[in-house]
Amino acid sequence: MAIWTHYYIPQTLDEALSLLCREPQSKAIAGGTDLLLELQQGRHPPVRTLVDLSQIAALQRLEMSQGALWIGASVPLNRVIAWPPVRHFATALCEAISLIGGPQVRNVATLGGNVAHALPAADGAIALLALDAQVLVASPEGQRLQPLLACYAGPGKTALQRAEIIVAFQVPACEKEEASAFRRVMRPQGVAIAIENMGIWLRRKDERIEDIRIAVGPSGPMPFRARQTEQVLRGKPLDEETLAEAEKVLKSEARFRTSPHRATAEYRYHLAGVLLRQTLQTAWERTQLNFAEELGPLSVKG
Amino acid sequence: MKWVGQSVHRVDAVGKVTGETLFPGDVNLPNQAYMKILFAQRPHAIIRRIDTSKAEALEGVIAVFTAKDVPNNEYGLIMPDQPVLCGPGSNKPYADRVRFIGDQVALVIAETEEIAAKARDLIEVEYEDLPVVTDMVAAMQPDAPLLHPDRGSNVFCHYRIRKGDVEEAFKRCDVIIEGEYRTPSQEHAYLQPEAGVGYIDEEGRVTIQVAGQWTHEDQEQIAHALNLPLEKVRVIYPAIGGAFGGREDMSIQIVLALAALRLHERGINRPVKIIWSREESIIGHHKRHPFLIRAKWGATKEGKVIAAEMQLIADGGAYAYTSTKVLGNATLLCTGPYEIENVKVDSYAVYTNNIPTGAFRGFGGPQALFAAETQMNRLAEALGMDVVELRLRNVLREGSLLSVGTPLPKGVSIAQVIEECAKAAGWQQTEDGWKRPPKPQNPAPHLWRGIGFACGFKNVGFSFGYPEQCWATVELYGGAEIERAIVRHAGADVGQGAHTVMAQIAAETLGIPLERVRLVLSDTALTDNSGSASASRMTFMAGNAIKKACEAALEKWRAEERPVMIRYQYRPPATTPFDPQTGKCEPNFAYGYVAQAAEVEIDTETGHVRLLRVVSADDVGKAVNPIQVQGQIEGAVVQAAGYAVLENFVQKDGYVLTQHLSTYLIPSVLDIPERVDSLILEYPDPLGPYGARGVGEMPFLPLTPAVIAAVHDASGVWFSEFPLIPERVLRGLGKLKPLPAS
Repeated sequence: MAIWTHYYIPQTLDEALSLLCREPQSKAIAGGTDLLLELQQGRHPPVRTLVDLSQIAALQRLEMSQGALWIGASVPLNRVIAWPPVRHFATALCEAISLIGGPQVRNVATLGGNVAHALPAADGAIALLALDAQVLVASPEGQRLQPLLACYAGPGKTALQRAEIIVAFQVPACEKEEASAFRRVMRPQGVAIAIENMGIWLRRKDERIEDIRIAVGPSGPMPFRARQTEQVLRGKPLDEETLAEAEKVLKSEARFRTSPHRATAEYRYHLAGVLLRQTLQTAWERTQLNFAEELGPLSVKG
Repeated sequence: MKWVGQSVHRVDAVGKVTGETLFPGDVNLPNQAYMKILFAQRPHAIIRRIDTSKAEALEGVIAVFTAKDVPNNEYGLIMPDQPVLCGPGSNKPYADRVRFIGDQVALVIAETEEIAAKARDLIEVEYEDLPVVTDMVAAMQPDAPLLHPDRGSNVFCHYRIRKGDVEEAFKRCDVIIEGEYRTPSQEHAYLQPEAGVGYIDEEGRVTIQVAGQWTHEDQEQIAHALNLPLEKVRVIYPAIGGAFGGREDMSIQIVLALAALRLHERGINRPVKIIWSREESIIGHHKRHPFLIRAKWGATKEGKVIAAEMQLIADGGAYAYTSTKVLGNATLLCTGPYEIENVKVDSYAVYTNNIPTGAFRGFGGPQALFAAETQMNRLAEALGMDVVELRLRNVLREGSLLSVGTPLPKGVSIAQVIEECAKAAGWQQTEDGWKRPPKPQNPAPHLWRGIGFACGFKNVGFSFGYPEQCWATVELYGGAEIERAIVRHAGADVGQGAHTVMAQIAAETLGIPLERVRLVLSDTALTDNSGSASASRMTFMAGNAIKKACEAALEKWRAEERPVMIRYQYRPPATTPFDPQTGKCEPNFAYGYVAQAAEVEIDTETGHVRLLRVVSADDVGKAVNPIQVQGQIEGAVVQAAGYAVLENFVQKDGYVLTQHLSTYLIPSVLDIPERVDSLILEYPDPLGPYGARGVGEMPFLPLTPAVIAAVHDASGVWFSEFPLIPERVLRGLGKLKPLPAS
């Protein structure tokens, strides 16, 4: 059963943008691992034209520049995972995308698609939010750099227009005393979307947390920054008293709900405490490592 | 032996690995049309009117068929209680009603699948909804809505066992354990959803190529519904992508044949093809029976179980399918592989508006043994006695009487099987009896580990008086030596490797190289009735039929007959049905015996239960192909692990809420036990071919109670309900508050 009529593979960004402007019922496609399934199952409005973004050089970028990682929006996840700077300077992101799908899915799935699909618990997006990534968006009017959450309009609903394309993500590289970690709970193992996930970035000063960012999914309609919890933790030592207070605040500010047959809200609130403690502890321990060389193997499922 | 006992390559390996082998969905015939089925999608209603005019008017639509087009609108493996198509104009009463969401209402045949789907959605059906009953206990009440008004009750099967006097015996018990157990449904989730083609063959037979478990039973069901003589119906099985009992009943067989026949009658001679989506498959075929089991067992302080009282209720769903047989098996197995002097069992199968339930690997055994073995483990705890020691003081031995008052057939090995399994799992035999290994160390404060033990037994072959039989035909060609042997057999290879075993047994018996055996398989026009690939029976039944046919053929060959042709029917010793009052019977002619130990780890923070190691000791009599036996053991353990821990089939008010494999979770490679030690034991069955028993179901049976016991060992908590999904575990551990009683 054909689920599209025309399929274009443009070589440049301009070409892609003009195709998306010109063609009615058009849609950009990268790995297609979510999109094709939704089209096939009738959960997406029908499309006539698919515009493939996999051959555009600007979207294939992978480089370190001025203290930031630039990750092209249509680089397959397995290539991102294999790129050493991601593992060293954006560890949470490396951990998160290593858990997306199985190896076959990661061979084609992209970070651009992960964000454009706009799910509130997308592993890539949760990690990007914790790492304070900026998004480079191209439109017929030109390119702009915007915060990640500006790409979201609601659950599964992107704020991007049809003729707008995510070009790349700018992810600040962790510096000395900074580290990040990502955890998720899922069933079954390996191929499921998260029941709950969490990304944490922090900067340590001596025995205190100097600065921290916590991202949680699925809490509310889009990836959620636990700002009140961050505030509780800022400037504090990582002791039981702080943790207990942080856990309490996280459970009050997060908005978990029940997904039939996957998890009740009650279970998710319980897990929030578990994930907070585990992820925080891992990130904290990583700040003591002298960067990548000592990082050791991540729990990357291959 | 040269061939029996060797792990030869499967006869179907090369074709499957290279992709040359055709599964039913791969079979395409010239000029074929495509069929889609309109499912009821509502749990209980009378169909007042069906208007197919818009569908028929759509360009590309060839035909639309409804109930009035079915010659004899009923079918069913045990009793014909299900309409082929539900709707007005049937020749049977009450066939105008739908009783579960997967009931079939109309067939659309069109030039393409897309057109057929579009036309299906244009069919207008006027329903008058009826009250829905989905709780099996509620369905038993006198005022419950009746699913089959002509039957007068939703209870469609009841068995009784009365042996000794349980009331008197309980008075003599030092320990009594009572429990109420609930078991979940389960989806077969075979790789290949239902698919096939239907056409009129060159000899004018209505022919279908589908995946099933018993060609000749499919043939009979089709002939019955189409009012055709048997010989006018032909059923062929191409390669089959898994079955597990889920293809025992009809899904697309009758409607494919009906479509081919009715088109032919209209002068349209085109094959009809259908492939179900996964979602259609999940609502379209039956599930494993959920059971509610109430148990009361008593033992003396010496560790002798002297009384067991059981009540079993099985949710049969909307139609009987094989429920009566499943219930019979559960009734027999619900007191475990033990000799208990006083037994009282009452068991019931009940109609509800849930998806029908039927055959699934273990056939009532897993549910019954979950209760029996958990009772046994709890009795051991209450007695302060080791679980292996308690079992060995009670197990069935040669000559022991079953609950149904008769001894087992010769070759009872459960005691040896328990001992072998216990030893491999670290138990030790001391002067004071058997002692369990030390509790495994917890790797972290929140990761708790434990070990559990359970055992069981499973009949091989059809039970309770069924006229069990299996045909084989052997032809020998050559001059001085046998150059070619042709074995004709209908037995289905559902993936378990039955055809390889057939070839091995033929080569062994004839004393010829395996390559000289040619198999002609699974076609009612070319092979005789073999019975079903179920009840763990194919090695035993086909093996005996082929072995005896080969022996007879060899005799003629030695008498210089050329070529030789022998057609042989194997019939095992007769069995008898339950006595309606006491249950007394000779239920089976053969059994396999099994014991398992499981080591688990509970993450007490997330509630996840992980299986670290499973030891499965299985007496298969003789492993005709040891690596295939190992495959069966590992496959059954993985499927049972899904049943125990992960798989959660949810229905609400008659609707399936887990209709995709993204919501009905089966184990991934990362969820399965880290290690499965298969102990293949070979205590020969006196009647089995080369001593073989059967293996398909046994390793599924004791895993859940073993896991439940291991979780108890780790946490101190007995779970009486599963799957052990994280939230259930955390609630059990007191980390989440209990759910309000529903």
